[in-house]
Amino acid sequence: MSDMKPNEAPEGDENGEEKDWAAAKAFFENLKTNKPRPPKPRYAVTIAVSSRTLFNMVAERKIYEEDGMEKYVAYQVEHENEPLKPGAAFPFVKALMTVNARLRELYPDSEELFDIVLMTNNHAQVGVRLINSINHYDLTIERFCMTGGQSPIGYLKAYMTNLYLSKDSEKVTEAIEEGIAAATMFMPETEIKLSDTQLRVAFDGDAVLFSDESEIIVKQHGLDTFFEHEREFENKPLAQGPLKCFLEALGKLQRKFYAKNERMNCPIRTFLVTARSAASSGARVLKTLRSWGLEIDEALFLAGAPKGPLLEKIKPHIFFDDQMFHIEGAKELGTIAAHVPYGIGQKYHRGKLIEQPAKDK
Amino acid sequence: MVSTVRNPEAKQKDAQRALVVALTCQELFHLGGAEVSSSEPYAPGVAFPLLQAMQVVNERLLELNPEETLLFDVVLLAADCQQHQDRIIATTRHYGLDVSRFCFCSRDEFTHLLLRERTHLFLCTDARQVATASHTGVAAALLQPAPSRPTQQLRVLFCTDPADRPGTSQQVCQVAGLLGAMRSRLGVACGALSIILLTVQGGRESCGRALLTLRSWGLGVDEAYCLAGAPGGPALSLLAPHILFPDGSALQA
Repeated sequence: MSDMKPNEAPEGDENGEEKDWAAAKAFFENLKTNKPRPPKPRYAVTIAVSSRTLFNMVAERKIYEEDGMEKYVAYQVEHENEPLKPGAAFPFVKALMTVNARLRELYPDSEELFDIVLMTNNHAQVGVRLINSINHYDLTIERFCMTGGQSPIGYLKAYMTNLYLSKDSEKVTEAIEEGIAAATMFMPETEIKLSDTQLRVAFDGDAVLFSDESEIIVKQHGLDTFFEHEREFENKPLAQGPLKCFLEALGKLQRKFYAKNERMNCPIRTFLVTARSAASSGARVLKTLRSWGLEIDEALFLAGAPKGPLLEKIKPHIFFDDQMFHIEGAKELGTIAAHVPYGIGQKYHRGKLIEQPAKDK
Repeated sequence: MVSTVRNPEAKQKDAQRALVVALTCQELFHLGGAEVSSSEPYAPGVAFPLLQAMQVVNERLLELNPEETLLFDVVLLAADCQQHQDRIIATTRHYGLDVSRFCFCSRDEFTHLLLRERTHLFLCTDARQVATASHTGVAAALLQPAPSRPTQQLRVLFCTDPADRPGTSQQVCQVAGLLGAMRSRLGVACGALSIILLTVQGGRESCGRALLTLRSWGLGVDEAYCLAGAPGGPALSLLAPHILFPDGSALQA
């Protein structure tokens, strides 16, 4: 799922790709400003954010839903010189920029950086306001797709997106089905002060980093069977989940800091926040990560305790979980949460199976 | 020897008010290798989907206003095709194509004919012919081969990156204004026509400037893609435009 990018261009396309890249490089180097130029997509960790996750467009969205497309576009155009307020993904994007600045200091010629792309369904006329807002906050976003209503999935794939963040759960589900790590973002109910020197990313375990195979056992056979099963299969790695490759991409960048003796001062920190308990089912998770050659900086086993209070202490720029129950708990206490609509957890709400309408065979 | 034949089957447009588009016969139909004596209609050529999409736009415009005069007015240019004349006209009628008139001429009268017919936009797959027309003072754009996923929507793409030789911007500005007027009559929600902006080499600033330039020419863009050096090939195949304006140096003004 969501494989790391191939290192070579497809057959026959190398000349075109190199030509576009060389011209862009020259273009940016000739600019009078000191703008950092965007990295070569093949080597970068590409993060695609939608307009509604980057900026707060709740009021505008209401106009779209109540008054229709024409009024919505007209409103946006009328207000296009007013910068939008930051959205749920804004702190995450700022943190990515901080990491990039540190990477550029240590590796001035490397293309292994975060590449932030704006991927929106919005109409290009609304795009003017989006561009003005990006300018206002001086965000390093040079690439964007404003599809005017068309699905963004094709572009996500074409540009080897490593992570896609949106407010629209349907698009997120579609992306996951196409093998792209994706999550639906939620704005927290209160604001927590987050680090501005370190990117902090928290992940749930089952059905996020790992497949939902164990969660299926819990839902269908209960906790006792789950504990037994996990003990029995402790040494068998779990299958990978939709966000595994994103963790891998973060790890690759972390190692660049370690290589320059910056482990103590590394601007990326990763957390595993799982309902599993260390005593019984935790070992399998750690062994799986080890078998994949992945590190996680802190693993927190809650043994079923609520995640909200712990996340409040961790203060991640983003927290990924597959269960809405945990997302809601995180939001309440001010954590920026992102729902991963994957696996058996989607069919349950607070432990009860959601009745699905009968499907025609 | 130039001869102009009106198509009796097509409703004639008001050429003063319409957007006159010239296509070549060789691209609308597959003429090559056909026997002169046969009376079978020619097979559709590379410009066929484009013409059908333009017809849908015309239909929508007329639905909104039956008196509408700002429509696509298609002129079919046939250089060195005199012997195919009857069959060309018959094929057009066979498919019920909305072609207003046919112009039969020799190859060297071609560009003169474009000007005489007051062509706003000449479309062709051949980049050299497009460049020649531009230099003669007729706005010209590349006709793209049919996309892998067929679409009813007419997709017109403007590329911001400067081409090797800048074209004449005034004519492009005029076409942009006409397309823009058509686009606004259709309304933002209408899916019959989509105006696309693609920046391959430049970044946010280039793309932003081009959006505002096109707007100042009266053309509102629907979709905007800024690649800042990412490979242009995949974007172009996903975007699948019918018409591509290759030179964007004017959009960076």
